[in-house]
Amino acid sequence: MCWGDGLAVPPHIHSIGGDVGRYVVRRSLQAIPMLLLISVVLFALVNIAPGGPLAGYGRSRRMKPQKAEMLKRQFGLDKPLPVQYVVWLIGNDWMRVDADGDGIAESYGTRKGILRGDFGFSFRTRRPVLGEIMDRLPNTVYLMSVTFAVVFILAIPIGMISAVRQYSFFDIAVTTFSFAGQAIPEFWLGLILILVFYTGLESPFTGQPFLPSGGMYTLEADFSLWDRIRHLILPVAAQALGWIAWYSRFLRSSMLDVIHQDYIRTARAKGLRERTVLSRHALKNALIPLVTMFAVDLPYLFTGAVFIEMVFSWPGMGRLYYQAALQRDYPMLMATLVITAGIIISSSLLADIAYAFLDPRIHYD
Amino acid sequence: MRNPDSTEHRPEGLATDVWRRFRRHPGAIAGLLVLSLLMLAIILAGLSPYDPETSDIPSRLQPPSWEHPMGTDPLGRDLLTRVLYGGRVSLLVGFMVVVISLVIGAPMGAVAGYFGGWIDNVLMRITDTVMTLPSLLVLILLSAILHEVEVPLFQRNSPMTIALAIGLLSWMTTARLVRASFLAIRERDFITAAHSVGASHSRIMIRHILPNVIGPITVQATLEMGYAIMGESGLSFLGFGIRPPTPSWGNLLSNAHQHLARHPWLAIFPGLMIFLIIISVSYIGDGLRDAFDPFKVLKQVGEI
Amino acid sequence: MPRNRSLKLLTLVVVFALLFISLTGCARKAEDTPTPTPTVEKVATAVPPTPVPTPEEVATAVPPTAAPTEPPPEPEETSITIAVLQDPPSFNGTVTDTGYELMVQELVLLGLADIDPWGNIFPELAAELPTVENGGVVIDEDEWTMDVTWKLRDDVYWSDGEPVTADDVVFTWNAVSDPEMGIWAPGADYTGSAERIDEYTVVFHYTGVYPAYLYQFGGESGPHIWPEHYCDAEQGFTAWDANQEPLSNGPYLLKEWVHGDHLTFVRNPDYFEEGKPYIDKIIIKVVPDPAVLHAMMLEGDADVEMWVSEMYLAEYQDAPNVNVTFSPYGRWVMRLIPNLAKRGSIDPAEPHPILADVKVRQAIRMAIDVDTITEEIFYGYPDTVWTEMFRPPYDVCDISRPKYDPEGAKALLVEAGWTDEDGDGVRECHGCPNAEEGYPMSMEFAIYAEYGEELELAQQLIAENLEAIGFDLKLEKIQGSIMWDSYEAGGLEQIGDFDLNMWDDGYPGLDPSDSLWSFYYSEAAEPDWGWNVGRWMNEDASYYIDECYCLDEEYRQEVFCELAKILDEEVPQILLFTAIDADAYSTRVEGVQATINDIVTWNVADWKIVE
Repeated sequence: MCWGDGLAVPPHIHSIGGDVGRYVVRRSLQAIPMLLLISVVLFALVNIAPGGPLAGYGRSRRMKPQKAEMLKRQFGLDKPLPVQYVVWLIGNDWMRVDADGDGIAESYGTRKGILRGDFGFSFRTRRPVLGEIMDRLPNTVYLMSVTFAVVFILAIPIGMISAVRQYSFFDIAVTTFSFAGQAIPEFWLGLILILVFYTGLESPFTGQPFLPSGGMYTLEADFSLWDRIRHLILPVAAQALGWIAWYSRFLRSSMLDVIHQDYIRTARAKGLRERTVLSRHALKNALIPLVTMFAVDLPYLFTGAVFIEMVFSWPGMGRLYYQAALQRDYPMLMATLVITAGIIISSSLLADIAYAFLDPRIHYD
Repeated sequence: MRNPDSTEHRPEGLATDVWRRFRRHPGAIAGLLVLSLLMLAIILAGLSPYDPETSDIPSRLQPPSWEHPMGTDPLGRDLLTRVLYGGRVSLLVGFMVVVISLVIGAPMGAVAGYFGGWIDNVLMRITDTVMTLPSLLVLILLSAILHEVEVPLFQRNSPMTIALAIGLLSWMTTARLVRASFLAIRERDFITAAHSVGASHSRIMIRHILPNVIGPITVQATLEMGYAIMGESGLSFLGFGIRPPTPSWGNLLSNAHQHLARHPWLAIFPGLMIFLIIISVSYIGDGLRDAFDPFKVLKQVGEI
Repeated sequence: MPRNRSLKLLTLVVVFALLFISLTGCARKAEDTPTPTPTVEKVATAVPPTPVPTPEEVATAVPPTAAPTEPPPEPEETSITIAVLQDPPSFNGTVTDTGYELMVQELVLLGLADIDPWGNIFPELAAELPTVENGGVVIDEDEWTMDVTWKLRDDVYWSDGEPVTADDVVFTWNAVSDPEMGIWAPGADYTGSAERIDEYTVVFHYTGVYPAYLYQFGGESGPHIWPEHYCDAEQGFTAWDANQEPLSNGPYLLKEWVHGDHLTFVRNPDYFEEGKPYIDKIIIKVVPDPAVLHAMMLEGDADVEMWVSEMYLAEYQDAPNVNVTFSPYGRWVMRLIPNLAKRGSIDPAEPHPILADVKVRQAIRMAIDVDTITEEIFYGYPDTVWTEMFRPPYDVCDISRPKYDPEGAKALLVEAGWTDEDGDGVRECHGCPNAEEGYPMSMEFAIYAEYGEELELAQQLIAENLEAIGFDLKLEKIQGSIMWDSYEAGGLEQIGDFDLNMWDDGYPGLDPSDSLWSFYYSEAAEPDWGWNVGRWMNEDASYYIDECYCLDEEYRQEVFCELAKILDEEVPQILLFTAIDADAYSTRVEGVQATINDIVTWNVADWKIVE
């Protein structure tokens, strides 16, 4: 198999299939301590990064020191790090805290901890972190699903044709395009697209800019599918280019591996039409590694792309994280990181399951 | 009966073999040419009459001309000089990331793949854990940390710290590749033979297995260099990478962002450089991949 | 066999497709804030507009408006879009200070009084401004405390029909000053308690004499008045729901807030100023990329941009559909902060080897070519500043501008005992007062990272100026959050770990007292007590700063001028120039005026569409 396998390592081949269920359970159980360990590492990282959350607070930038003092206490930043971690994990409503700085801990804390679903409050807005995330998450999923849909609709046929007509002009053009597509920085491309299609071009019908400069839909207008599509075109294009390049190439190499296998020659020898051979036999098998590759990229569905969201004013998760990183909004950072890690673990599990599901040669011990 | 003096079928070393196949790949050759040219230009950047960091206010924001082939930046500095010096930084970051990736990933993968068992398990768990960290997100954090905290041997705001940050999150693929290769080769006959002759583990790993792993590692290295350069530019765009006045392609692009409408050359040239380097590196990687695969031709004609 | 596999593949595809569809379905999430239906009749308060306000009308001034014309009878709904770089964190301008929350706060909440761009204070919720003359302010000469009585208007209502009363004022003050909240509002150190006298009268009992009492509840940095019956005191000022879903008594009502994307406001039909606001709808759109925002302004998709940077100004001024408004005065003064104490020490008794000598600081001031910086890097927009007393009403002191004289600077350095004996271009100490013989004139010069490119350029130019007179500088760019962190957290300035820093700052409102205290008072050098991080100790200056906490304006002017003289001679900070405060607006809007005393939406009720 090709080198790309290194990214989604198939499990050891041992006994007959049917142990998938047990494998899933085992992997899920393994995931829990891993997630815990990751949360500790992330917590450490987040807190080592210098510059506290108090910094993001103002144009006047230099706070009255007393104000900084009280804010620290409010956020619980005056406790040692391990204590902060424990509070983050299991809350502090079972212990007494000192809320007004007089040195006496008199009231119970208000936090329940992440294990009970309390992700804390954003330092920046004082709203529950989960609320902020749920505001943005659907927007990211929306954009990324459309992007991935476009990517696959284009990449699969391109990859297939490329493989079948290897070294043809089409193939070489596609290879060039694919390398080029991955070599252009996204943020740069995004801005160029806006300059061309928004500032540069005008619609011949309305005289308005050809495509909007960003946002998900035209504000204060009724819902219109066409409006949504117009707003999707540029951000999807800016992102899809790189993905199409990557996936078409990947499919091409996967197809090439498959095409030269014995059973394809057998199918041909049986007298089946070339098209049937290709689509029913070759493509399906070539798609298997693609599916597992996609499962590795699945987390992007939820984390989005910071650059695209910034340039196209898309209110999504990527921007939320970036802003939180700039302002050291610890609860937000931790929540996003841990949730993302969870998604990554789940999709990697999904990848393995999909692989086993689709490829009967793989068995689990 | 073969003529021992004929020039065909002479037993050749791996390197010559690979090179011969590589040569047949037009894209890869082109890539190698472009890359060499760029690297030459970058190394010779010191020959420029302009200093990359001294300002020259009267000449600021000039479009490309004979005096300044790429124009000048907002401080009047020659853009070509800055782009070339920036290339040093970006290439350095690229190389260092590859080195760090190899230094961490290869031994890990080798040991895991060779010894198997619980060693494999532990090492792979560690690899999985790091792989599970959301990379861009953690990269932002890491670079914020490494920028301000005094790390021994690494200066603040140097390309090394960025390379360290990126490298710490890139070694996993190399590890897995190496492990996969070691796993596959470990069971082969010639390894068993070596064992029976009493060769030590390290000797076997280095002398026998490693040469077979060079292929995928090299390909991966070229890819990673591309990712590293792209990663550095992205980080700098967000403000977390190399900080001015030291030029890097990433921060040149980032500063040019706001000037794009009026002074597009500020963004076009660094962007073009990134584009050229990554595309060359991709082609080279592609060529290497084909060159290292001895069965490629046989596969193509359906022999295997 | 193939059929089995294809079935499996199909299942997977269908699952993903379903996932995609279901999530697209809930992509549009609008948060509709229920606007309570008002049940009160329209208020009929006539507000005669004053074209150009004069300082004499401070006591009984009415809110100045834009050029008076009757509101155009627009049959269609008028709407403008304000584009901003960031989502406001909340509506509470006292808890956070990014500027964006202040901007939206102006749309829905009123203060007791406000300041116009020319420095005149006018009442909003107050019926008249309390002064010593009209008996609103009573000073106890013996105790040196004061009482301020505010009489409120009786015709302002919250949008749910409840009247705005003294209870709201008292409630707001109690919420703000609650120690558990950890808020520090201006005047907090001097304000004691608030007392309700009757439904529309409040008395504030001060523990000292606080000169800026008039705009303590309003303007840019003072808390606005919050509704007692609506805000949940349990949740606390920093976290109550009203911060996200406010109850409005201002010109606009919040209709919708899609976090991260936009806010929509509609006209408040029961706003107390008759006929206003003129514009029916205001949309605040979040556009994080400045280049895209810029493009939107030029295309006309955005009508107002807050805080335009110098770089885009020239282009806006050329553009036919965009106007730029500048605030009449600057506020943010870019300045050099020398550390007069030994680096790393917080003890003023340990002098900095180079900067403790006033001659060296004067030489630095003489060597900097400020005009080139303002002309070349900031496109000629900033004003040069050389004294703290450059803003009205205190711009009356007679301090002349220091000359740009590099040769004079060199001579002064020689006089101070710094010469370059070894010819390497860097001076060493030969007979200087605070360093050892041969100590090189070498130090670190840092700026803060968040400002952007222009500040780096300025830093480089200044470094060139200083290197030309014999300094050796190591340039640094440090994150503001690290530079200004507290002493305990190792904030570089508070712990004294710096040589020469450069940043901008300026006081809000009209009264420099607090700011002067914070920078120049001796006690302010205590770690985490103030921002006298240079550790400058000057008894006379501290005396004058104490003296300025009174209400006698004439005396205050004298005191400020004496202080200005000392600052000019002793040079504890080197003032360079003010950054501009400019906003851009489309030509279809009229009435937008930038101000340093408040935020651009200060007069949003007066804005009109002209098409």
